[in-house]
Amino acid sequence: MLNTLNVVRLLPELILLVTALVVIFVDLYARRRTALWLLPGVSIAGLVLAFVAAFAQWGAQEVVAGTLAADSFAFYFKLVAAVTVVLVILASVRYMRERTRFLGEFYAFLLVATLAVFVAVSATDLITVYLGLETLSIVSYVLTGFLRDDKRSNEAAIKYFLYGAVASAIMLYGFSLLYGLTGTTDLAEIARRLQAGDVLANLEWVAWPAVILAAVGFAFKASLVPFHQWAPDAYEGAPTPVTMFLSTVSKATGFAVMARVFLTAMPSLGEYWMALLYGLAILTMTVGNLIALRQTSVKRMLAYSSIAHAGFILMGLVAVTAPAGGHPFNGLDGVLMYVVAYAFTNAGAFAVVAAVEDGTGDATLDNFAGLIARAPFLAAAMLIFLLSLAGVPPLAGFAAKLFVFAPVVRQEYYALAVVALVNAVVAAGYYLKVVKQMFFVEVPERPAFAVARGMRWALWLMIIGVFGVGIFMNWFAFMSVRSAAGMLGL
Amino acid sequence: MILKVVFLLVSLFTVGSALMVVTHKNLFSSALFLVASFFGVAALYVLLEAEFLAVAQVLIYVGAIATLIIFAIMLTRGMMSGRTSPRNDQAAWAGLASVVLGLVLLYVVVFRVQWPVVEKPVPPDTIEQLGRALVGRYVVPFEVASVLLLAALVGAVLIAREKEV
Amino acid sequence: MLNTYAVIGLYALVALTFPFIVLLFARLVRPSKPNPLKNSTYECGMETIGDTWVQFRAQYYLFALVFVVFDVEVVFLYPWAVAYGKLGLFALVEMALFIGLLAVALVYAWRKGILEWQ
Repeated sequence: MLNTLNVVRLLPELILLVTALVVIFVDLYARRRTALWLLPGVSIAGLVLAFVAAFAQWGAQEVVAGTLAADSFAFYFKLVAAVTVVLVILASVRYMRERTRFLGEFYAFLLVATLAVFVAVSATDLITVYLGLETLSIVSYVLTGFLRDDKRSNEAAIKYFLYGAVASAIMLYGFSLLYGLTGTTDLAEIARRLQAGDVLANLEWVAWPAVILAAVGFAFKASLVPFHQWAPDAYEGAPTPVTMFLSTVSKATGFAVMARVFLTAMPSLGEYWMALLYGLAILTMTVGNLIALRQTSVKRMLAYSSIAHAGFILMGLVAVTAPAGGHPFNGLDGVLMYVVAYAFTNAGAFAVVAAVEDGTGDATLDNFAGLIARAPFLAAAMLIFLLSLAGVPPLAGFAAKLFVFAPVVRQEYYALAVVALVNAVVAAGYYLKVVKQMFFVEVPERPAFAVARGMRWALWLMIIGVFGVGIFMNWFAFMSVRSAAGMLGL
Repeated sequence: MILKVVFLLVSLFTVGSALMVVTHKNLFSSALFLVASFFGVAALYVLLEAEFLAVAQVLIYVGAIATLIIFAIMLTRGMMSGRTSPRNDQAAWAGLASVVLGLVLLYVVVFRVQWPVVEKPVPPDTIEQLGRALVGRYVVPFEVASVLLLAALVGAVLIAREKEV
Repeated sequence: MLNTYAVIGLYALVALTFPFIVLLFARLVRPSKPNPLKNSTYECGMETIGDTWVQFRAQYYLFALVFVVFDVEVVFLYPWAVAYGKLGLFALVEMALFIGLLAVALVYAWRKGILEWQ
């Protein structure tokens, strides 16, 4: 096994690891003026290299080093993660420079978080799943509480940490039940033994505890109701670029891991986890939207909206048809479509929030008033992102919604589809509230403000992404279908 | 028979200490009871013939984690004296919920499920097998664990360092 | 196998009960004549100044944390060392990577002046 270890398959992870180490050493040894541009530069270069390394292996189908899958499903999430983190870094250059002295640690942590995501989305063993998620969590806690002099940042980190520690422990308990029942931590092997005769007889009593307890950990990462309580505070208190990361990449990882564990390890328990996820999906989108309606801070409103969107993504997983073959609208490719569309859109919306915070000091709804006069580019960008979040064609959000609604209807989950439709309308309501504030409320005495260069690039890229996913829907759908079908062990 | 008595004593010691951890009114004493509980768990590992786990438990939990917890308490303002363990109106309900949930899980785990049993003695070279697994099949989690430790240390330094540094 | 641990268990039992027996015995045989001076806190013959329960510095915590990290490393190192004779060169590389990453953590703490007592 050791000699056959295919190092090339691990290249994306190794590149990220080396980049993170380089960033740490640049921070320790380079002069401060050099470090200011070298740190984000090196980080972005590393991410781009990792992206290329992952992209070059598209289509591979094998298990590397025993516990990592090099399959299109994993590569898909890796590509999305790498792109999103580049955008996060671009958006955070000025934002973080003005708020903290510890820039090296910040970029190193973003890279380690990406590495953890890479490991988690390709993990084919419960131990690797756990270590990937835990590394991601620990780094996320620190990133959330990065601004040590900011009380809200501290509070957010503490809440996130306490909640996360308990969620991890509960998830491990679920894993231990699975291990005790099957005697293995390998996902595919678990699936095989769950169908063996002597285990099957015990299943009716262990299935629910195992499924629910394991799901707690994933649901926490994906911020599904009722495991969402940390999210609004963490999203609001964290530095906004970190919120971009948490609400897109970190959340997508929760879904990726959930999909892989449930689909490859517990296909025989499908009726249990699908029922659970069905309930969670309805609960998540409804609760998220209802609370979002009443928010006065745009950052917090987007936090709740992001919870609601988790419910929409979950719809795709509920409507997975077994086996998740190569045809479109099987549910899983809806999840993948939604993840990429949502990454651009939500990261974009939070980036605008970061830019407004930079310009005005705070992201209250009031500070968005008359934004069109003071920062027209930001207002236009926000309009695009909000329309995409609301699901207006031809933007990314529309493609995403199409690809999760279609399988749900095809599976004849009409109740779920109706609830989701009502929710989509409710959500459009509070998105429009921000639009109205930006374009139709005039506040003459407020000064105009400029947008930092890195942020401008990030916003342009995200706008291109939002239009790109919406217009070239077919291509993205093709990629999603391919990678959904390419999950190993299905 | 003797083994069962020993197991019972060790379990009582462990659970008793654990209960003291959550009910004692001084947080510092709670931490000390936690150490006792950790020891009890190590003894349970020995009874299960999982020697390596027992050693790791003593080395990491009793040796390092306990020290860390005690330091953390000692450096927290106002945590050192008097009634420091937070308690609120929800304590009773939380306790009740935990007990009920615990009993349900125990019922399921103990009475309802026939756990598959390997009818073989523990092999003498478990530690060696573990060492091979660490650098063989589990090499990725092994290295990720190292990244995790690195990140944890850097993160803790970042958060816990004193202001002027 | 368990018999060897029985000795340890017995030893632990004796060690745990011994202080209690001594204190109990002392209570039984000693005369009891308390006075305020006897009951005051004894600290190297001096009267105590301030509160005994003081707030410690965060630096203790950082030292303990560095210790935890390397403690965990030792636990991983042990089974690897036991199996070392039967492992190839690749295992050495893997362990070198593992330790190397932790060494970076140490270098970081060192350069940031965490290891110096202020």
